[in-house]
Amino acid sequence: MDDHLTGILSNIGVISFVALSAYLLLLTGEISFGQQAFFAIGAYTAGIVTAMWQLPFWLGLGAGAAAGGAAALFVGLPTLRLHGLQFAIATLAFAEAVRILFELFRYQVMRDGEPVGPNGIEGFPNIRYIFENDVSATQFMSIIYGLLGATLFGFFLLERSRLGVAFRMIGQDDLLAAAQGVPVFRVKLIAACLAGAIAGLGGGLYAHLTTYVEPAIFDVMLGVHSLAYGLIGGLGTAFGPLLGVAIDIGLLESTRWFAGYRMIVFGGLVAVLLIVRPRGLLDERLVHRIRRIVSRRPPPAPASATILGEESS
Amino acid sequence: MIPFIQTTLDGLMVGSSYGLLALGFALIFGVMRRLNLSYGPSIMVGAYLGTLLYIQFGAPTYVVAIVAVAGSVMAGVYVERLCFAPLGVGAGVASMVSSFAIWMQLEQASLLMLPRHSYPFPSLTSSELLSLGPLVVRPDYLIMLAAMLAITAALHVLLYRTRFGLGLRAIVENSVAASLSGIDVQSTMLKAFALASAIGGVAGFLVLSANQQVTAMLGMWATLKGLIAMMIGGLGSIPGAIVGGLVLGVIEVHSQTLFGPQVRDLAAYGVLFVLLVLRPGGIFGTTAISESVGHRGGDRWTTT
Repeated sequence: MDDHLTGILSNIGVISFVALSAYLLLLTGEISFGQQAFFAIGAYTAGIVTAMWQLPFWLGLGAGAAAGGAAALFVGLPTLRLHGLQFAIATLAFAEAVRILFELFRYQVMRDGEPVGPNGIEGFPNIRYIFENDVSATQFMSIIYGLLGATLFGFFLLERSRLGVAFRMIGQDDLLAAAQGVPVFRVKLIAACLAGAIAGLGGGLYAHLTTYVEPAIFDVMLGVHSLAYGLIGGLGTAFGPLLGVAIDIGLLESTRWFAGYRMIVFGGLVAVLLIVRPRGLLDERLVHRIRRIVSRRPPPAPASATILGEESS
Repeated sequence: MIPFIQTTLDGLMVGSSYGLLALGFALIFGVMRRLNLSYGPSIMVGAYLGTLLYIQFGAPTYVVAIVAVAGSVMAGVYVERLCFAPLGVGAGVASMVSSFAIWMQLEQASLLMLPRHSYPFPSLTSSELLSLGPLVVRPDYLIMLAAMLAITAALHVLLYRTRFGLGLRAIVENSVAASLSGIDVQSTMLKAFALASAIGGVAGFLVLSANQQVTAMLGMWATLKGLIAMMIGGLGSIPGAIVGGLVLGVIEVHSQTLFGPQVRDLAAYGVLFVLLVLRPGGIFGTTAISESVGHRGGDRWTTT
């Protein structure tokens, strides 16, 4: 596999984490413009742990995810009582504030005679753990997809759990969910925390993939894109946001077919797509249909065919 | 004391541009209960068309102004036809994402037109400062303030004294009932959208002529500032938009003088966040055009 393709696939994998994070909140019916903040927090935390404190990679990733989840809890407590646009704008305000705080954040240590660490608007270069430990690009890609697979498996389990049902119930109608005994606020807080941790994990991977992060990467554009991925790909399953990312980065950003006109093509495609399918390509109805086809049992043998009513004895 | 008053005055002047931007936003949100993220990029298309005429053919300032407003209206109508009209009520989220997609499109189209990061823009007045006793103001900002007040007054008359305004308010109240009483909902919404884009175009032209340059950041800037000002003032409220804009301007300019340019935006976002948490409806609480924001159902942005 050549380096270019590996790079694109790794990029798709990493961005999928932010898209999944926004998707998780979409399940509960909330729109967040701010998931990039947790991605940024995860990236900086993981970078600080491995590049500055010289601790192992897995610890860095874990710390990134934990920091993302903790930050989401912190923001979720005051904001999750808000609805719709108010929640969306509150998350936007938070994320932009975080980005500006990273512009002001300076924390460096000397390593091999050179300063290492976040340096305000200049960013945080030399997160070189991957290179220093001889992890090849392909190996790192497998790590990314391994973790992405684990996250998707987590979503698979979630969809089958009471918690997952509660998410979708709240997404449909939170008043009705509350009337059915779902602790709406607590369930939403869990969703926000999980979403923050997923974004934080992705951020840690991103920092080590690019070896360099700067505040400007984590602007509103990233947040709105990750939200759009879920809506393009579809809200039916966790594969929806992945499909969205693959379409945008895989088809448009990485090929040179539409050079100069990429955004015009992408924008038009999405707008037309949303007219035809307002809930994305893989929407709930399609997913349900696929699931029915997959799980359909083979027809019973002719001998056991009975007329209705005679069977019960 | 004088420096403090001067800073506050500067803030009010800057705030009047935010107020103008928020007016267009509030009009769209007030009528449709949907967020048009393409609002800023529509303004950008108009401004870039005007700039193109200005630097290519040396068009006079009034031509640039007309083209900026007309271009913004054209782009706005395009957005409405593609992202809002076909999706219908009940698709607030899809409309918003769709308008974001068109944002990308409009921005790239503008950049294909004029690829450099910044271009000169014709100025409206001389850059001499007017002095009011110990205080000074820039004349172009005074024009902006006057324009804001004039547009607000005109909008008020339009909404409360004309048949069009009555129809608009009826749609806000209940679009099905409005349609049953013979109001053409689609065309009224399109007109409201075009009107909002025109207000945005005016705002964009005045801001750019005060800055005497246009940059590629215009689209994002206009959407964010208009949105923040509207949220501070109150969702979809016309007086709220004005007050929100002025408050935002005063906060920004004060924090810039005290702590520097990076803290300027930080303070604005901080205030917005705290305000939303403590008073989600904005300063003006419930909205002026309508007081009901749909809370129930999967899509909470629809008129219910």
